[in-house]
Amino acid sequence: MRASGIGYERRTLFAYLLNAPSLVAIFLLAAYPIVYSGWLSLHKYNLKRPRVFQFIGLDNYAAIVSAPEFWSALWITIQFTLLVVTSVTVLGVCIALLLNQRFPGRGILRTLILLPWAIPPVVNGLMWQWIYDSKIGALNGLLVSIGIISEYRGWLSNPTSALLALAFADVWNVLPLAVILLLAALQKIPAELYESARIDGAGPVQLFRYVTFPWLAQTLLVVLILQTLSAIRVFDVIYVLTAGGPGTSTTTLTWKTYLTTFETLDFGLGNAYAYAVSLITFGFALVYFRVLYRRGDFET
Amino acid sequence: MSATGHGAGFVRSRETRRMLLPMLGGLVVAVYILAPFCWLLLTSFMHEQDALSVPPQWIPRNPTLSNYATFIDPAGTRAIVGSRAAEQTFPGMVNSLIAATGTAVLNLVLGTLAGYALARFRFPGRGSLLGLYLGSRVLPGIALIVPLYLTIKNFGLLDHLSALIVTYVSFTLPFTIWLLKNYFQTIPRSLEEAAFMDGASWLQMLWWVLLPSAFPGLIAAGMFAFMTAWNDYLFAVILTSTTAAKTLPVVVAGFATDVTTERTLMATSGVLAIVPPLALAFVFQRLIVQGLTSGAVKD
Repeated sequence: MRASGIGYERRTLFAYLLNAPSLVAIFLLAAYPIVYSGWLSLHKYNLKRPRVFQFIGLDNYAAIVSAPEFWSALWITIQFTLLVVTSVTVLGVCIALLLNQRFPGRGILRTLILLPWAIPPVVNGLMWQWIYDSKIGALNGLLVSIGIISEYRGWLSNPTSALLALAFADVWNVLPLAVILLLAALQKIPAELYESARIDGAGPVQLFRYVTFPWLAQTLLVVLILQTLSAIRVFDVIYVLTAGGPGTSTTTLTWKTYLTTFETLDFGLGNAYAYAVSLITFGFALVYFRVLYRRGDFET
Repeated sequence: MSATGHGAGFVRSRETRRMLLPMLGGLVVAVYILAPFCWLLLTSFMHEQDALSVPPQWIPRNPTLSNYATFIDPAGTRAIVGSRAAEQTFPGMVNSLIAATGTAVLNLVLGTLAGYALARFRFPGRGSLLGLYLGSRVLPGIALIVPLYLTIKNFGLLDHLSALIVTYVSFTLPFTIWLLKNYFQTIPRSLEEAAFMDGASWLQMLWWVLLPSAFPGLIAAGMFAFMTAWNDYLFAVILTSTTAAKTLPVVVAGFATDVTTERTLMATSGVLAIVPPLALAFVFQRLIVQGLTSGAVKD
């Protein structure tokens, strides 16, 4: 009554007033820095020679795309992201479906699944470092004692197993978020839909295909977006677990950005790398948002 | 008589069999979740030489509380091996608690205001506003860190928790706004209108009517913000330098890369870093899922 009572213009003003604090926060701490970062990326600016601050146009970007390290880091980022996003989505759906069943112990499991969520990635990295340890690690101990491998291995010193180990550790850490989002979506599906489908003679596969999946699709997309973004920007666990190694086998774009900025102290080039990461994430996000938009899920 | 007995037994066994598969799956999931964590937990109760033994001691042969004691009394017997680590852990935890709680509270205040406007009013620019919020969430932290560092340095706020809180708020706010907007939309307008009829002001309506009905949504949004702030390492390590503002992940990472620190002490600090968020997650588990059911997932 009251809300529709006040005039259209005043309501618009009120709406913007309510959004003002959030807008200020986001402009100050996201919009302004990203513009500033772009500006820095067009300059020659190395903290080792702080007095040189020279506009060089797109030279930093030219340097990036002609450097093999960039393409290597991009390829590793893609591999890592695909590994993590696929695993999290598949495991997430399976575990959410399981937690939506009725069975003894479900309540405990629903609480237990939140455990990795409460573990900071730095601690997670530390934990897995000891599990993977080549001399005293629990993984080696376990696999040798049940006879799968005959001697201890350096899981983090082999390029292939290091990337897999890193992805495995990250998946364990980020899985709960996907599970609770998907579980929340599953709980919204009306039970009558399953009943009527069962009466029509649908089997478990058909139930999933024609009842569960359509209701889950939107949340699945949200999970895909969140997981892709977080996999591209993964940092903490790399810092503790592999530091980009061995060699450059786990040097993702984010890690390369960090090295260029804070080890080499090349702020110009580092920001160009950062911008490249932003553009790639933006590209992904645009594709996802378009799909959401076309499905009519974006605007409410 | 015997026929019905047989029938009940048959039904029960069929029921049991139907439960068997999910229970088996549940067991696998439980092991997957618990095993890595238990290793960390057990290490924190071991003596250093036991933690280094090959093959690993799955159950500590001489369990000890000495690692935890070291954190309670950093100047005690093991002062040399772990004093720095132990001294910084509790200040780090207090800093983390302030940063995470501050982030959550600010998020809820700003998110409620913006979320309410987006949920209840149709106004020009509403779609662009939603797009802007979502778009800002897409920016990777690593791209913002240098300009943020320089800006915060200019304001003289390096090594201040307030700078950290404001930074975290800007990252978590888009998700909070989105979640609360969706949650508010599930609350019938008639509740609000009734409050206005009774002569309530907008703020009174918000506080006494809307927010109580949005409780699960608020808890879910607050938890997400809390966790993001609690877990962050990248911004904390760049923006803080002393125990005045160092958060727990920075402290833990600090001795993770320090070879002189004992493994068992690191494990203990890791466990301590998990306790507060874990307690919150377990307490609010039901409300979080409930909040998401209405908030993050729309019809």
